[in-house]
Amino acid sequence: MSATSQHGFHPGVESLSAFAEQALEERERAEVLEHLAVCGRCRRVVALAREAADGDAVKVSAPPQKTIAPDAWWRQWRLAWVPAAIVAAFAAASVSTHVWLANRNERDFKIVAQNPTQGAAPASTQPATEQAEVVPPAAAAPAPQVRTAKQLHSGAADQPAAQEPHLMTAEAPSEPAAMDRLEIGRQTQPLSYAEAKQAPSGSLAGAAGSVYSQPAAAAREDKQKQAEELSQEQFDATHLRRFTLKSAPAAAHGAIQPAPQAVTQTVTVAAAPVNLETAPLPATPAISAGLPSQLHSSIPINPMHLPSGLAVVSSTTAGSIVLAIDKAGALFLSRDHGNTWERVDTQWTGRAVAVTEQFAVNGLFETAPATQNGAAAGASTNPKPAAPPPVTFELFNDKNQAWVSTDGRIWNSK
Amino acid sequence: MTPSESVASAAPTGFPNGTLALDPALADELWRACAAASWGLTRNEFDQILIEAGTAQNFGLDEAATPVGATRKRQAEFFRGFCVDDLVLARACARGNERAWERFVAIYRQPLTRAAIAITGSETVGRDLAEQLYAELYGLNEREGQRRCPLLSYRGRGSLMGWLRTTLAQRHVDHYRRTRREEPIEEYDAPALDPPPQTPARELSLLKRAIEQAIANRNAEERYLLAAYYLDEQTLLEIGRVLGVHEATVSRRLRRAAGEIRKQILKALERSGMSRRAAEEAMGADPRDVELNLKKLLQQSQSEAFQEQAAT
Repeated sequence: MSATSQHGFHPGVESLSAFAEQALEERERAEVLEHLAVCGRCRRVVALAREAADGDAVKVSAPPQKTIAPDAWWRQWRLAWVPAAIVAAFAAASVSTHVWLANRNERDFKIVAQNPTQGAAPASTQPATEQAEVVPPAAAAPAPQVRTAKQLHSGAADQPAAQEPHLMTAEAPSEPAAMDRLEIGRQTQPLSYAEAKQAPSGSLAGAAGSVYSQPAAAAREDKQKQAEELSQEQFDATHLRRFTLKSAPAAAHGAIQPAPQAVTQTVTVAAAPVNLETAPLPATPAISAGLPSQLHSSIPINPMHLPSGLAVVSSTTAGSIVLAIDKAGALFLSRDHGNTWERVDTQWTGRAVAVTEQFAVNGLFETAPATQNGAAAGASTNPKPAAPPPVTFELFNDKNQAWVSTDGRIWNSK
Repeated sequence: MTPSESVASAAPTGFPNGTLALDPALADELWRACAAASWGLTRNEFDQILIEAGTAQNFGLDEAATPVGATRKRQAEFFRGFCVDDLVLARACARGNERAWERFVAIYRQPLTRAAIAITGSETVGRDLAEQLYAELYGLNEREGQRRCPLLSYRGRGSLMGWLRTTLAQRHVDHYRRTRREEPIEEYDAPALDPPPQTPARELSLLKRAIEQAIANRNAEERYLLAAYYLDEQTLLEIGRVLGVHEATVSRRLRRAAGEIRKQILKALERSGMSRRAAEEAMGADPRDVELNLKKLLQQSQSEAFQEQAAT
């Protein structure tokens, strides 16, 4: 015990320590407790000592860091498949979406490819027997650049007009490319073999070269049917009629030189609308034959996305003017190859279902009359190409009534 | 003087060297248990340390009995209630055994510093306090011309580490109380005049006397609880750790003590002639109106045991 001034006598350090550690006998503990009840100093000493002991005990008895068992379930490598499966599923979905979009773009591409243009790069149509000469092996660079239809689509804007004809290889036919070939083959179907044979060797209107074979076409018949179903309405309303009108010029151009078996055999056709976009308008047999060049612009129509958002059921083109009717019967006019559209006020009765263009002269494919501009007299002897005849657009409603317009904006009953 | 020079002072005065012999079997058992040979203590030194410790406390026998009369059973009961290994180490250090000091430093140096930092709440002050105690333990302080090692006061009741912590806490509290008295009073705001008490003076006087009586009648543990909780503002957890009980037990005992004190006060007031209602109203008097210093009141309840020791 140590003497202090306040209480005369304090328990010793050992007594206080033993009291805090519950190590005192009952009698001595009661004595210390009696003192602690009246001595703030010793209470403070005991409290501090106890606090330090607790703090030290916490540090000493701190549990070691938990070690994760090597066989913990979240450490197992099997779970690595979960994110891998998610990534794979996402990739598959992306590919599917991309293929679907590519197919849809092919339908738009088909529209352009159908439009015979004079600005097409000269692409030879080769007989099937010459195919091996035309289509180089994949390693045979730098001969004609081998590209897929998808590449042609995506890189259309930056392709120079005077490039080599782009060939599609049969070795690695992509799905869009196959669709493209099928569409072109179908478009050429109305042409008779005789007409095709008479046609001089040259470019298929608005198309670059493409190579495909019949077995491939047969294998993709389902795809073709599906594509046909999707675009049937648009195709029928828009192109069948036009095709009838244009098949003759196509023949006149001599653009098709099919294989002896025509479309059922391997045919090399031109299918690069991208080249057509930036190509100049060279003089073509079509012009020399008197066909107004502005009727069939070399500039392809962009995929028709009408402001209404509906599908196109009928359309026609004259130069940069494009008229299109959507499924709701609304008529839209574009003066910039389909880039921008404006809706034409309804000036007809019923529902518009078809729109076509007509020449104001005697026939669809006749040359413009020399008197049209007063300077073309004796056009038959004048080597200068005749001035383009005025275009008349014709609109039909669901009752087969017709309206005509020269600018596509103002319509009069026929 | 090296620590070994304090060996002579470690032996209690008047120790009848050779007159007391430990039971050989007990000595062997304790020798093996504390493994003192591992840090260089000889068996002879070990036996001497045990004899000194037993003689100093008379082996727990009455003061009238002589240590020589301690039987083997009594010796065994005495030493088994002690921390013999800590006691031997502390005494060996006090004797100046270098290997004992090496062991002491290896075991207690860092915990001593941590405890000092925890007690002072400051790393700088804590390290200073620990270094000061360590130097003192090494025997650098002199008393009456002789160097004294505080480890000699450790008698093996409780752990040596607890003893070291309590020593640190005691020195810190004493230092704090001493320096606090020396702090200058920077500002002194004169307290506002208290409004006159609403409770009549006679009732306040009765209330004061009843409170003093009620508190004085409480036992030591309840007064310790009241003082530690209301005066020292210790938490229930801290109080519970000191007493070795759960804090819920502390809370229950405190509530019971307060309830008992209230009942006794009411009874005392009723005995003084107040009605029950008047007594309850008097219990609601403003405490500031009661001239009662609870701290002083608790401190007046001096333990008889320590009063006797102080008188001696």
